[in-house]
Amino acid sequence: MSDGQSRPTNDAQIVVSGLTKQYRNVLAVNNLSFTVAPGRVTGFLGPNGAGKTTTLRMLLNLVTPTAGTATIGGRRYPELTEPLRHVGAVLEASSAHKGRTGINHLRVICAAAGLPRQRADEALALVGLTPAAKRKFKGYSLGMKQRLGIAAAMLGDPRVLILDEPANGLDPEGIRWMRGFLKALAAEGRTVLVSSHLLSEMQLLADDVVIIAAGQLVRQGPVEQVIGSMAQSVRVRVRTPQAEELTRALAEGPATVETDEHGALMIGGVDAPTVGRVALTAGVELHELTTERPDLERVFLELTAGKAGIR
Amino acid sequence: MSNLVRSELLKIRTTSTWWWLAIGALLSIAMAFPLNAWLFNTTVDGGGEELGVVGDAASAPAQAANLYTSGQYLGLLFVMLIGILMVTNEFFHQTATTTFLATPRRSAVIVSKLIAASLLGFAFWLVTTVIDLGAGAAFLALNDHGTLLGEWEVQRALLLNLMAYAIWTVLGVGIGTLITNQLGAVITASVLYLIGTQVIGVLFLLLSSWLDSMAVLKWQVIWPAAASQIMITPGESEMYPPWWVGALVLVGYALASGIVGLLLTRRRDIS
Repeated sequence: MSDGQSRPTNDAQIVVSGLTKQYRNVLAVNNLSFTVAPGRVTGFLGPNGAGKTTTLRMLLNLVTPTAGTATIGGRRYPELTEPLRHVGAVLEASSAHKGRTGINHLRVICAAAGLPRQRADEALALVGLTPAAKRKFKGYSLGMKQRLGIAAAMLGDPRVLILDEPANGLDPEGIRWMRGFLKALAAEGRTVLVSSHLLSEMQLLADDVVIIAAGQLVRQGPVEQVIGSMAQSVRVRVRTPQAEELTRALAEGPATVETDEHGALMIGGVDAPTVGRVALTAGVELHELTTERPDLERVFLELTAGKAGIR
Repeated sequence: MSNLVRSELLKIRTTSTWWWLAIGALLSIAMAFPLNAWLFNTTVDGGGEELGVVGDAASAPAQAANLYTSGQYLGLLFVMLIGILMVTNEFFHQTATTTFLATPRRSAVIVSKLIAASLLGFAFWLVTTVIDLGAGAAFLALNDHGTLLGEWEVQRALLLNLMAYAIWTVLGVGIGTLITNQLGAVITASVLYLIGTQVIGVLFLLLSSWLDSMAVLKWQVIWPAAASQIMITPGESEMYPPWWVGALVLVGYALASGIVGLLLTRRRDIS
Protein backbone atom coordinates (compact mmCIF):
# COMPACT_ATOMS: atom_id res chain seq x y z
CA MET A 1 0.00 0.00 0.00
CA SER A 2 1.28 3.44 -0.86
CA ASP A 3 -0.46 5.52 1.80
CA GLY A 4 2.62 5.25 4.04
CA GLN A 5 0.44 4.95 7.13
CA SER A 6 1.40 3.11 10.29
CA ARG A 7 -0.28 -0.18 9.41
CA PRO A 8 2.37 -2.67 8.33
CA THR A 9 1.56 -4.63 5.22
CA ASN A 10 2.09 -7.96 6.95
CA ASP A 11 -0.88 -7.16 9.19
CA ALA A 12 -2.98 -9.22 6.82
CA GLN A 13 -0.40 -11.79 5.83
CA ILE A 14 -1.18 -15.46 6.33
CA VAL A 15 1.75 -17.63 7.38
CA VAL A 16 1.43 -21.40 7.53
CA SER A 17 4.46 -23.07 9.06
CA GLY A 18 5.14 -26.77 9.43
CA LEU A 19 1.42 -27.46 9.72
CA THR A 20 0.60 -31.13 10.26
CA LYS A 21 -2.65 -32.99 10.98
CA GLN A 22 -2.60 -36.67 11.78
CA TYR A 23 -6.04 -38.25 11.89
CA ARG A 24 -6.39 -41.76 13.22
CA ASN A 25 -5.53 -43.44 9.94
CA VAL A 26 -4.59 -40.61 7.64
CA LEU A 27 -1.84 -38.01 7.60
CA ALA A 28 -4.14 -35.34 6.14
CA VAL A 29 -1.61 -32.49 6.16
CA ASN A 30 2.11 -33.14 6.29
CA ASN A 31 4.58 -30.41 7.36
CA LEU A 32 2.95 -27.79 5.14
CA SER A 33 4.42 -24.28 4.92
CA PHE A 34 3.40 -21.35 2.70
CA THR A 35 2.58 -17.64 2.89
CA VAL A 36 -0.30 -15.64 1.46
CA ALA A 37 0.28 -11.96 0.65
CA PRO A 38 -2.20 -9.08 1.02
CA GLY A 39 -3.48 -7.28 -2.07
CA ARG A 40 -3.56 -10.42 -4.19
CA VAL A 41 -5.91 -13.29 -4.85
CA THR A 42 -4.21 -16.55 -3.92
CA GLY A 43 -5.59 -19.79 -5.32
CA PHE A 44 -5.22 -22.79 -3.02
CA LEU A 45 -5.21 -25.79 -5.31
CA GLY A 46 -5.01 -29.51 -4.90
CA PRO A 47 -6.74 -32.73 -5.91
CA ASN A 48 -9.66 -33.97 -3.83
CA GLY A 49 -8.41 -35.22 -0.49
CA ALA A 50 -5.17 -33.21 -0.71
CA GLY A 51 -5.86 -31.57 2.66
CA LYS A 52 -7.11 -28.14 1.49
CA THR A 53 -10.16 -28.00 3.75
CA THR A 54 -8.27 -29.40 6.75
CA THR A 55 -5.58 -26.74 6.27
CA LEU A 56 -8.13 -23.91 6.10
CA ARG A 57 -9.92 -25.24 9.19
CA MET A 58 -6.65 -25.40 11.12
CA LEU A 59 -5.96 -21.80 10.07
CA LEU A 60 -9.33 -20.85 11.60
CA ASN A 61 -8.90 -22.85 14.81
CA LEU A 62 -11.75 -25.20 13.96
CA VAL A 63 -9.40 -28.17 13.76
CA THR A 64 -6.46 -28.52 16.14
CA PRO A 65 -3.13 -29.11 14.36
CA THR A 66 -1.00 -32.08 15.42
CA ALA A 67 2.06 -29.88 14.86
CA GLY A 68 2.99 -26.53 13.35
CA THR A 69 1.32 -23.13 13.37
CA ALA A 70 -0.92 -21.00 11.18
CA THR A 71 -1.10 -17.27 11.80
CA ILE A 72 -2.95 -14.30 10.37
CA GLY A 73 -1.08 -11.02 10.78
CA GLY A 74 1.27 -12.82 13.16
CA ARG A 75 -1.43 -14.08 15.49
CA ARG A 76 -3.26 -17.37 15.76
CA TYR A 77 -6.99 -17.11 15.08
CA PRO A 78 -8.13 -17.48 18.72
CA GLU A 79 -5.69 -14.72 19.69
CA LEU A 80 -7.47 -12.17 17.47
CA THR A 81 -9.48 -9.82 19.68
CA GLU A 82 -12.38 -9.31 17.30
CA PRO A 83 -11.87 -12.12 14.80
CA LEU A 84 -14.70 -11.19 12.42
CA ARG A 85 -13.23 -7.70 11.99
CA HIS A 86 -9.96 -9.30 10.83
CA VAL A 87 -10.99 -12.44 9.01
CA GLY A 88 -14.04 -13.46 7.01
CA ALA A 89 -14.44 -17.10 6.06
CA VAL A 90 -16.79 -19.00 3.76
CA LEU A 91 -16.41 -22.66 4.52
CA GLU A 92 -19.47 -24.60 3.42
CA ALA A 93 -22.61 -23.62 1.59
CA SER A 94 -25.06 -25.23 3.96
CA SER A 95 -24.12 -23.61 7.25
CA ALA A 96 -27.29 -21.92 8.46
CA HIS A 97 -30.32 -23.18 10.39
CA LYS A 98 -32.82 -24.29 7.75
CA GLY A 99 -35.76 -22.67 9.54
CA ARG A 100 -34.09 -19.29 10.04
CA THR A 101 -34.34 -16.41 7.57
CA GLY A 102 -31.22 -15.13 5.84
CA ILE A 103 -31.30 -11.76 7.59
CA ASN A 104 -31.77 -13.37 11.02
CA HIS A 105 -28.85 -15.70 10.34
CA LEU A 106 -26.65 -12.63 9.87
CA ARG A 107 -28.14 -10.83 12.88
CA VAL A 108 -27.28 -13.77 15.12
CA ILE A 109 -23.64 -13.50 13.99
CA CYS A 110 -23.67 -9.70 14.45
CA ALA A 111 -24.93 -10.13 18.01
CA ALA A 112 -22.24 -12.71 18.85
CA ALA A 113 -19.44 -10.63 17.33
CA GLY A 114 -20.65 -7.34 18.82
CA LEU A 115 -21.18 -5.82 15.37
CA PRO A 116 -23.94 -3.25 14.80
CA ARG A 117 -27.20 -4.81 13.69
CA GLN A 118 -27.44 -2.84 10.44
CA ARG A 119 -24.28 -4.57 9.19
CA ALA A 120 -26.56 -7.55 8.46
CA ASP A 121 -28.64 -5.47 6.04
CA GLU A 122 -25.54 -3.91 4.47
CA ALA A 123 -23.82 -7.26 3.93
CA LEU A 124 -26.97 -8.74 2.41
CA ALA A 125 -27.19 -5.80 0.00
CA LEU A 126 -23.50 -6.23 -0.85
CA VAL A 127 -24.13 -9.75 -2.22
CA GLY A 128 -27.46 -8.84 -3.84
CA LEU A 129 -29.62 -10.94 -1.52
CA THR A 130 -31.83 -8.16 -0.11
CA PRO A 131 -34.98 -9.42 -1.91
CA ALA A 132 -34.58 -12.82 -0.17
CA ALA A 133 -33.78 -11.37 3.26
CA LYS A 134 -36.92 -12.66 4.93
CA ARG A 135 -37.01 -16.01 3.19
CA LYS A 136 -36.03 -19.08 5.19
CA PHE A 137 -32.67 -20.68 4.47
CA LYS A 138 -34.23 -23.95 3.32
CA GLY A 139 -35.84 -22.07 0.42
CA TYR A 140 -32.48 -20.76 -0.85
CA SER A 141 -30.84 -22.10 -4.00
CA LEU A 142 -27.24 -23.29 -3.79
CA GLY A 143 -26.07 -20.03 -5.31
CA MET A 144 -28.07 -17.99 -2.78
CA LYS A 145 -26.62 -20.04 0.08
CA GLN A 146 -23.14 -19.32 -1.25
CA ARG A 147 -23.92 -15.59 -1.39
CA LEU A 148 -25.28 -15.67 2.16
CA GLY A 149 -22.03 -17.30 3.26
CA ILE A 150 -20.08 -14.46 1.63
CA ALA A 151 -22.37 -11.90 3.28
CA ALA A 152 -21.62 -13.51 6.65
CA ALA A 153 -17.88 -13.31 5.92
CA MET A 154 -18.17 -9.60 5.02
CA LEU A 155 -20.07 -8.57 8.18
CA GLY A 156 -16.96 -7.33 9.97
CA ASP A 157 -15.46 -5.71 6.82
CA PRO A 158 -12.38 -7.96 7.27
CA ARG A 159 -8.95 -7.47 5.72
CA VAL A 160 -8.53 -11.20 5.18
CA LEU A 161 -10.96 -13.37 3.23
CA ILE A 162 -10.74 -17.16 3.25
CA LEU A 163 -13.05 -19.10 0.95
CA ASP A 164 -13.35 -22.87 0.53
CA GLU A 165 -14.66 -23.78 -2.95
CA PRO A 166 -16.81 -20.63 -3.27
CA ALA A 167 -17.71 -21.31 -6.89
CA ASN A 168 -19.48 -24.58 -6.07
CA GLY A 169 -23.10 -24.41 -7.09
CA LEU A 170 -22.84 -21.01 -8.76
CA ASP A 171 -24.14 -20.53 -12.29
CA PRO A 172 -21.88 -18.86 -14.92
CA GLU A 173 -23.28 -15.43 -14.04
CA GLY A 174 -22.66 -16.11 -10.34
CA ILE A 175 -19.11 -17.26 -11.02
CA ARG A 176 -18.39 -14.10 -12.99
CA TRP A 177 -19.86 -12.01 -10.17
CA MET A 178 -17.70 -13.83 -7.63
CA ARG A 179 -14.56 -13.30 -9.74
CA GLY A 180 -15.18 -9.54 -9.97
CA PHE A 181 -16.06 -9.36 -6.28
CA LEU A 182 -12.90 -11.12 -5.09
CA LYS A 183 -10.62 -9.24 -7.48
CA ALA A 184 -12.07 -5.96 -6.23
CA LEU A 185 -11.46 -6.98 -2.61
CA ALA A 186 -7.83 -7.84 -3.39
CA ALA A 187 -7.42 -4.54 -5.24
CA GLU A 188 -8.46 -2.77 -2.01
CA GLY A 189 -5.40 -4.34 -0.38
CA ARG A 190 -7.14 -7.26 1.29
CA THR A 191 -5.79 -10.79 1.47
CA VAL A 192 -7.93 -13.27 -0.46
CA LEU A 193 -7.26 -17.01 -0.16
CA VAL A 194 -9.53 -19.19 -2.30
CA SER A 195 -9.44 -22.95 -2.49
CA SER A 196 -10.76 -24.54 -5.64
CA HIS A 197 -10.37 -27.37 -8.05
CA LEU A 198 -11.80 -25.36 -10.96
CA LEU A 199 -8.47 -24.64 -12.65
CA SER A 200 -9.71 -22.63 -15.61
CA GLU A 201 -11.56 -20.35 -13.18
CA MET A 202 -8.45 -20.04 -11.03
CA GLN A 203 -6.37 -19.03 -14.02
CA LEU A 204 -8.76 -16.11 -14.55
CA LEU A 205 -8.99 -15.22 -10.86
CA ALA A 206 -5.73 -15.88 -9.05
CA ASP A 207 -2.56 -13.80 -8.92
CA ASP A 208 -0.67 -16.40 -6.87
CA VAL A 209 -1.19 -20.11 -6.41
CA VAL A 210 -0.33 -22.58 -3.68
CA ILE A 211 -0.54 -26.13 -5.01
CA ILE A 212 -0.65 -29.03 -2.58
CA ALA A 213 -1.04 -32.77 -3.04
CA ALA A 214 -1.19 -35.58 -0.49
CA GLY A 215 -0.96 -33.00 2.30
CA GLN A 216 2.33 -31.55 1.09
CA LEU A 217 3.34 -28.38 -0.74
CA VAL A 218 4.02 -28.98 -4.43
CA ARG A 219 4.56 -25.46 -5.73
CA GLN A 220 3.94 -21.89 -4.61
CA GLY A 221 4.28 -18.60 -6.49
CA PRO A 222 2.71 -16.16 -8.93
CA VAL A 223 0.59 -17.95 -11.55
CA GLU A 224 2.82 -16.81 -14.45
CA GLN A 225 5.93 -18.02 -12.67
CA VAL A 226 4.47 -21.40 -11.79
CA ILE A 227 3.36 -21.91 -15.38
CA GLY A 228 6.69 -20.55 -16.65
CA SER A 229 8.55 -23.09 -14.55
CA MET A 230 7.13 -25.69 -16.88
CA ALA A 231 8.47 -23.79 -19.96
CA GLN A 232 9.91 -26.94 -21.47
CA SER A 233 6.38 -27.96 -22.26
CA VAL A 234 5.74 -24.98 -24.59
CA ARG A 235 4.75 -26.44 -27.96
CA VAL A 236 4.07 -25.13 -31.46
CA ARG A 237 0.99 -26.24 -33.36
CA VAL A 238 1.20 -26.39 -37.14
CA ARG A 239 -1.37 -27.21 -39.77
CA THR A 240 -0.04 -28.06 -43.17
CA PRO A 241 -1.04 -30.18 -46.18
CA GLN A 242 2.61 -31.35 -46.38
CA ALA A 243 3.04 -32.84 -42.91
CA GLU A 244 5.52 -35.50 -43.97
CA GLU A 245 7.89 -33.05 -45.66
CA LEU A 246 7.88 -30.74 -42.65
CA THR A 247 8.46 -33.61 -40.22
CA ARG A 248 11.41 -34.77 -42.29
CA ALA A 249 12.86 -31.24 -42.46
CA LEU A 250 12.48 -30.74 -38.69
CA ALA A 251 14.04 -34.11 -37.89
CA GLU A 252 17.44 -32.62 -38.63
CA GLY A 253 17.14 -30.32 -35.57
CA PRO A 254 16.26 -30.85 -31.87
CA ALA A 255 12.52 -30.81 -32.54
CA THR A 256 10.08 -33.53 -31.49
CA VAL A 257 6.97 -33.94 -33.62
CA GLU A 258 3.65 -35.56 -32.77
CA THR A 259 0.32 -35.55 -34.54
CA ASP A 260 -2.74 -34.60 -32.47
CA GLU A 261 -6.22 -36.03 -32.81
CA HIS A 262 -7.26 -33.31 -35.30
CA GLY A 263 -4.33 -34.00 -37.62
CA ALA A 264 -2.29 -30.96 -36.55
CA LEU A 265 1.43 -31.31 -35.79
CA MET A 266 2.49 -30.61 -32.18
CA ILE A 267 6.14 -29.61 -32.26
CA GLY A 268 8.26 -29.39 -29.11
CA GLY A 269 11.85 -28.32 -28.51
CA VAL A 270 11.88 -25.39 -30.93
CA ASP A 271 10.05 -22.03 -31.06
CA ALA A 272 7.56 -20.84 -33.64
CA PRO A 273 10.00 -18.66 -35.70
CA THR A 274 12.32 -21.64 -36.09
CA VAL A 275 9.48 -23.82 -37.35
CA GLY A 276 8.45 -21.06 -39.79
CA ARG A 277 12.00 -20.71 -41.12
CA VAL A 278 12.42 -24.46 -41.57
CA ALA A 279 9.09 -24.62 -43.39
CA LEU A 280 10.05 -21.74 -45.71
CA THR A 281 13.42 -23.35 -46.52
CA ALA A 282 11.75 -26.69 -47.24
CA GLY A 283 9.04 -25.00 -49.34
CA VAL A 284 6.25 -26.29 -47.10
CA GLU A 285 2.90 -24.50 -47.17
CA LEU A 286 1.61 -23.55 -43.66
CA HIS A 287 -2.05 -22.97 -42.75
CA GLU A 288 -1.52 -22.40 -39.05
CA LEU A 289 1.47 -21.66 -36.81
CA THR A 290 0.60 -21.18 -33.12
CA THR A 291 2.61 -21.20 -29.90
CA GLU A 292 0.77 -23.26 -27.27
CA ARG A 293 1.64 -22.19 -23.74
CA PRO A 294 0.79 -24.66 -21.01
CA ASP A 295 -2.21 -23.51 -18.97
CA LEU A 296 -2.69 -23.87 -15.24
CA GLU A 297 -4.60 -27.08 -15.76
CA ARG A 298 -1.77 -28.82 -17.57
CA VAL A 299 0.83 -27.59 -15.10
CA PHE A 300 -1.36 -28.69 -12.20
CA LEU A 301 -1.91 -32.15 -13.65
CA GLU A 302 1.80 -32.61 -14.34
CA LEU A 303 2.78 -31.39 -10.86
CA THR A 304 0.28 -33.51 -8.99
CA ALA A 305 0.46 -36.60 -11.20
CA GLY A 306 0.50 -39.75 -9.11
CA LYS A 307 -0.17 -37.86 -5.88
CA ALA A 308 -3.91 -37.45 -6.29
CA GLY A 309 -6.77 -39.50 -5.11
CA ILE A 310 -7.82 -41.46 -2.10
CA ARG A 311 -5.38 -41.97 0.71
CA MET B 1 -20.40 -12.32 27.35
CA SER B 2 -23.68 -10.39 27.23
CA ASN B 3 -23.29 -10.23 23.43
CA LEU B 4 -23.03 -13.99 23.31
CA VAL B 5 -26.06 -14.55 25.54
CA ARG B 6 -28.01 -12.11 23.36
CA SER B 7 -26.92 -14.04 20.29
CA GLU B 8 -28.01 -17.34 21.86
CA LEU B 9 -31.42 -15.94 22.78
CA LEU B 10 -31.78 -14.55 19.25
CA LYS B 11 -30.99 -18.01 17.86
CA ILE B 12 -33.88 -19.41 19.87
CA ARG B 13 -36.31 -16.64 18.99
CA THR B 14 -35.62 -16.84 15.26
CA THR B 15 -36.68 -20.45 14.83
CA SER B 16 -40.04 -22.03 15.42
CA THR B 17 -38.89 -24.93 17.65
CA TRP B 18 -39.20 -23.14 20.99
CA TRP B 19 -42.69 -22.04 20.01
CA TRP B 20 -43.79 -25.66 19.58
CA LEU B 21 -42.23 -26.61 22.90
CA ALA B 22 -44.00 -23.69 24.61
CA ILE B 23 -47.31 -24.87 23.17
CA GLY B 24 -46.47 -28.35 24.44
CA ALA B 25 -45.82 -26.98 27.94
CA LEU B 26 -49.15 -25.13 27.93
CA LEU B 27 -50.98 -28.22 26.72
CA SER B 28 -49.42 -30.27 29.50
CA ILE B 29 -50.83 -27.76 32.02
CA ALA B 30 -54.22 -28.01 30.35
CA MET B 31 -54.11 -31.79 30.77
CA ALA B 32 -52.59 -31.95 34.24
CA PHE B 33 -54.56 -29.23 35.98
CA PRO B 34 -58.03 -30.84 35.83
CA LEU B 35 -56.50 -34.14 36.94
CA ASN B 36 -54.74 -32.53 39.89
CA ALA B 37 -57.88 -30.58 40.79
CA TRP B 38 -59.86 -33.84 40.88
CA LEU B 39 -57.09 -35.43 42.98
CA PHE B 40 -57.28 -32.52 45.43
CA ASN B 41 -61.02 -32.88 45.90
CA THR B 42 -60.86 -36.65 46.26
CA THR B 43 -58.03 -36.80 48.80
CA VAL B 44 -59.12 -33.81 50.89
CA ASP B 45 -62.58 -35.39 51.08
CA GLY B 46 -60.94 -38.51 52.56
CA GLY B 47 -60.86 -40.69 49.45
CA GLY B 48 -57.06 -40.70 49.23
CA GLU B 49 -56.54 -44.23 50.45
CA GLU B 50 -58.06 -45.79 47.36
CA LEU B 51 -55.53 -43.81 45.27
CA GLY B 52 -52.61 -44.61 47.57
CA VAL B 53 -52.30 -40.97 48.64
CA VAL B 54 -52.02 -41.02 52.43
CA GLY B 55 -50.35 -39.19 55.32
CA ASP B 56 -48.64 -35.86 54.64
CA ALA B 57 -49.27 -36.17 50.93
CA ALA B 58 -53.04 -36.23 51.46
CA SER B 59 -53.13 -32.94 53.37
CA ALA B 60 -54.70 -29.87 51.79
CA PRO B 61 -51.39 -27.92 51.58
CA ALA B 62 -49.58 -30.85 49.93
CA GLN B 63 -52.37 -31.25 47.40
CA ALA B 64 -52.45 -27.50 46.80
CA ALA B 65 -48.69 -27.60 46.14
CA ASN B 66 -49.30 -30.35 43.60
CA LEU B 67 -52.07 -28.31 41.97
CA TYR B 68 -49.95 -25.15 41.78
CA THR B 69 -47.19 -27.04 39.94
CA SER B 70 -49.48 -28.68 37.38
CA GLY B 71 -47.79 -29.47 34.08
CA GLN B 72 -44.37 -29.72 35.66
CA TYR B 73 -43.75 -33.30 34.57
CA LEU B 74 -43.86 -32.61 30.81
CA GLY B 75 -42.78 -28.98 31.22
CA LEU B 76 -39.40 -30.13 32.54
CA LEU B 77 -39.06 -32.46 29.58
CA PHE B 78 -39.69 -29.59 27.18
CA VAL B 79 -37.15 -27.21 28.74
CA MET B 80 -34.60 -30.02 28.72
CA LEU B 81 -35.29 -30.54 25.00
CA ILE B 82 -34.74 -26.81 24.39
CA GLY B 83 -31.39 -27.08 26.17
CA ILE B 84 -30.43 -30.07 24.03
CA LEU B 85 -31.50 -28.38 20.79
CA MET B 86 -29.50 -25.25 21.65
CA VAL B 87 -26.35 -27.33 21.27
CA THR B 88 -27.22 -30.10 18.81
CA ASN B 89 -28.77 -27.65 16.30
CA GLU B 90 -25.26 -26.22 15.85
CA PHE B 91 -24.05 -29.57 14.61
CA PHE B 92 -27.23 -30.68 12.84
CA HIS B 93 -27.38 -27.47 10.79
CA GLN B 94 -23.58 -27.10 10.65
CA THR B 95 -23.72 -23.68 12.25
CA ALA B 96 -21.02 -24.64 14.77
CA THR B 97 -18.46 -23.41 12.24
CA THR B 98 -20.06 -19.97 12.04
CA THR B 99 -20.50 -19.81 15.80
CA PHE B 100 -16.91 -20.69 16.60
CA LEU B 101 -15.57 -18.37 13.90
CA ALA B 102 -17.38 -15.46 15.57
CA THR B 103 -16.19 -16.63 19.00
CA PRO B 104 -13.08 -18.82 18.97
CA ARG B 105 -13.23 -19.04 22.79
CA ARG B 106 -15.48 -22.06 22.87
CA SER B 107 -15.90 -22.15 26.64
CA ALA B 108 -17.50 -18.72 26.39
CA VAL B 109 -19.97 -20.06 23.83
CA ILE B 110 -20.98 -23.00 26.03
CA VAL B 111 -21.24 -20.84 29.15
CA SER B 112 -23.43 -18.34 27.30
CA LYS B 113 -25.62 -21.22 26.16
CA LEU B 114 -25.93 -22.30 29.82
CA ILE B 115 -26.91 -18.77 30.84
CA ALA B 116 -29.39 -18.37 27.98
CA ALA B 117 -30.84 -21.80 28.83
CA SER B 118 -31.29 -20.83 32.49
CA LEU B 119 -33.04 -17.62 31.47
CA LEU B 120 -35.32 -19.61 29.23
CA GLY B 121 -36.01 -22.15 31.97
CA PHE B 122 -36.91 -19.23 34.23
CA ALA B 123 -39.28 -17.82 31.60
CA PHE B 124 -41.02 -21.18 31.20
CA TRP B 125 -41.37 -21.47 34.99
CA LEU B 126 -42.72 -17.93 35.25
CA VAL B 127 -45.39 -18.36 32.58
CA THR B 128 -46.53 -21.80 33.72
CA THR B 129 -46.54 -20.70 37.36
CA VAL B 130 -48.59 -17.58 36.66
CA ILE B 131 -51.16 -19.72 34.84
CA ASP B 132 -51.16 -22.32 37.64
CA LEU B 133 -51.47 -19.65 40.32
CA GLY B 134 -54.41 -18.00 38.62
CA ALA B 135 -56.27 -21.22 37.89
CA GLY B 136 -55.31 -22.89 41.20
CA ALA B 137 -56.26 -19.95 43.41
CA ALA B 138 -59.58 -19.59 41.61
CA PHE B 139 -60.31 -23.32 41.97
CA LEU B 140 -59.39 -23.47 45.66
CA ALA B 141 -61.26 -20.30 46.57
CA LEU B 142 -64.38 -21.46 44.75
CA ASN B 143 -64.22 -24.72 46.74
CA ASP B 144 -63.99 -22.82 50.05
CA HIS B 145 -60.40 -23.84 50.89
CA GLY B 146 -58.95 -20.36 50.51
CA THR B 147 -55.91 -20.01 48.20
CA LEU B 148 -53.54 -21.79 50.66
CA LEU B 149 -50.75 -19.59 49.22
CA GLY B 150 -49.70 -18.64 52.75
CA GLU B 151 -48.67 -22.25 53.45
CA TRP B 152 -44.90 -22.79 53.45
CA GLU B 153 -45.38 -26.14 51.80
CA VAL B 154 -47.00 -24.43 48.79
CA GLN B 155 -44.35 -21.70 48.58
CA ARG B 156 -41.62 -24.30 48.88
CA ALA B 157 -43.11 -26.31 46.01
CA LEU B 158 -43.17 -23.21 43.78
CA LEU B 159 -39.53 -22.41 44.52
CA LEU B 160 -38.36 -26.00 44.04
CA ASN B 161 -40.30 -26.03 40.80
CA LEU B 162 -38.23 -23.02 39.67
CA MET B 163 -35.07 -24.84 40.66
CA ALA B 164 -36.16 -27.91 38.70
CA TYR B 165 -36.80 -25.83 35.57
CA ALA B 166 -33.38 -24.16 35.77
CA ILE B 167 -31.52 -27.42 36.43
CA TRP B 168 -33.23 -29.44 33.71
CA THR B 169 -32.59 -26.77 31.07
CA VAL B 170 -28.91 -26.67 32.04
CA LEU B 171 -28.83 -30.48 32.07
CA GLY B 172 -30.25 -30.38 28.53
CA VAL B 173 -27.33 -28.20 27.38
CA GLY B 174 -24.95 -30.62 29.10
CA ILE B 175 -26.50 -33.66 27.39
CA GLY B 176 -26.35 -31.83 24.04
CA THR B 177 -22.61 -31.24 24.40
CA LEU B 178 -22.05 -34.88 25.34
CA ILE B 179 -24.22 -36.34 22.55
CA THR B 180 -23.98 -33.95 19.60
CA ASN B 181 -26.11 -36.16 17.36
CA GLN B 182 -29.49 -34.43 17.57
CA LEU B 183 -31.74 -37.47 17.27
CA GLY B 184 -29.51 -39.50 19.56
CA ALA B 185 -29.50 -36.83 22.26
CA VAL B 186 -33.26 -36.20 22.13
CA ILE B 187 -34.15 -39.89 22.25
CA THR B 188 -31.63 -40.71 24.99
CA ALA B 189 -32.78 -37.83 27.18
CA SER B 190 -36.49 -38.49 26.66
CA VAL B 191 -36.08 -42.17 27.47
CA LEU B 192 -34.03 -41.35 30.58
CA TYR B 193 -36.66 -38.89 31.72
CA LEU B 194 -39.96 -40.57 30.78
CA ILE B 195 -39.34 -44.28 31.01
CA GLY B 196 -36.41 -44.05 33.36
CA THR B 197 -38.28 -43.24 36.57
CA GLN B 198 -40.68 -46.16 36.42
CA VAL B 199 -38.08 -48.71 35.32
CA ILE B 200 -35.69 -47.53 38.01
CA GLY B 201 -38.46 -47.64 40.63
CA VAL B 202 -39.24 -51.26 39.80
CA LEU B 203 -35.56 -52.22 39.63
CA PHE B 204 -34.88 -50.78 43.06
CA LEU B 205 -37.99 -52.41 44.48
CA LEU B 206 -36.73 -55.80 43.28
CA LEU B 207 -33.27 -55.03 44.58
CA SER B 208 -34.60 -54.04 48.00
CA SER B 209 -36.71 -57.20 48.39
CA TRP B 210 -33.80 -59.34 47.24
CA LEU B 211 -31.43 -57.70 49.73
CA ASP B 212 -34.28 -57.47 52.26
CA SER B 213 -33.41 -53.83 52.94
CA MET B 214 -35.65 -50.76 52.62
CA ALA B 215 -32.59 -48.50 52.75
CA VAL B 216 -31.59 -49.61 49.24
CA LEU B 217 -34.69 -47.86 47.89
CA LYS B 218 -33.23 -44.51 48.85
CA TRP B 219 -30.47 -45.02 46.29
CA GLN B 220 -33.01 -44.39 43.52
CA VAL B 221 -31.91 -40.82 43.93
CA ILE B 222 -28.84 -41.46 41.80
CA TRP B 223 -31.16 -41.50 38.77
CA PRO B 224 -31.70 -37.90 37.54
CA ALA B 225 -35.44 -38.20 36.97
CA ALA B 226 -35.91 -39.89 40.35
CA ALA B 227 -33.77 -37.22 42.00
CA SER B 228 -35.99 -34.57 40.47
CA GLN B 229 -39.10 -36.33 41.76
CA ILE B 230 -37.62 -36.66 45.26
CA MET B 231 -36.56 -33.02 45.25
CA ILE B 232 -40.10 -31.77 44.66
CA THR B 233 -41.88 -34.32 46.87
CA PRO B 234 -42.84 -32.82 50.24
CA GLY B 235 -42.68 -34.71 53.53
CA GLU B 236 -40.54 -37.51 54.92
CA SER B 237 -40.68 -41.14 53.88
CA GLU B 238 -38.62 -44.21 54.66
CA MET B 239 -38.59 -45.01 50.94
CA TYR B 240 -36.90 -41.79 49.83
CA PRO B 241 -34.03 -39.64 51.05
CA PRO B 242 -34.77 -36.00 52.00
CA TRP B 243 -35.53 -33.51 49.22
CA TRP B 244 -32.15 -31.81 49.40
CA VAL B 245 -30.35 -35.02 48.50
CA GLY B 246 -32.36 -35.06 45.28
CA ALA B 247 -31.49 -31.41 44.67
CA LEU B 248 -27.76 -32.05 45.23
CA VAL B 249 -27.74 -35.06 42.92
CA LEU B 250 -29.51 -33.08 40.20
CA VAL B 251 -27.19 -30.10 40.51
CA GLY B 252 -24.29 -32.55 40.44
CA TYR B 253 -25.49 -34.03 37.15
CA ALA B 254 -26.02 -30.60 35.62
CA LEU B 255 -22.53 -29.47 36.67
CA ALA B 256 -20.82 -32.71 35.62
CA SER B 257 -22.45 -32.84 32.17
CA GLY B 258 -21.82 -29.12 31.67
CA ILE B 259 -18.14 -29.35 32.60
CA VAL B 260 -17.40 -32.57 30.69
CA GLY B 261 -19.30 -31.19 27.68
CA LEU B 262 -17.34 -27.96 27.89
CA LEU B 263 -14.01 -29.77 27.97
CA LEU B 264 -15.05 -32.00 25.05
CA THR B 265 -16.20 -28.99 23.03
CA ARG B 266 -12.90 -27.20 23.56
CA ARG B 267 -10.97 -30.10 22.06
CA ARG B 268 -13.38 -31.20 19.37
CA ASP B 269 -12.45 -30.79 15.70
CA ILE B 270 -15.25 -29.00 13.86
CA SER B 271 -15.46 -30.32 10.32
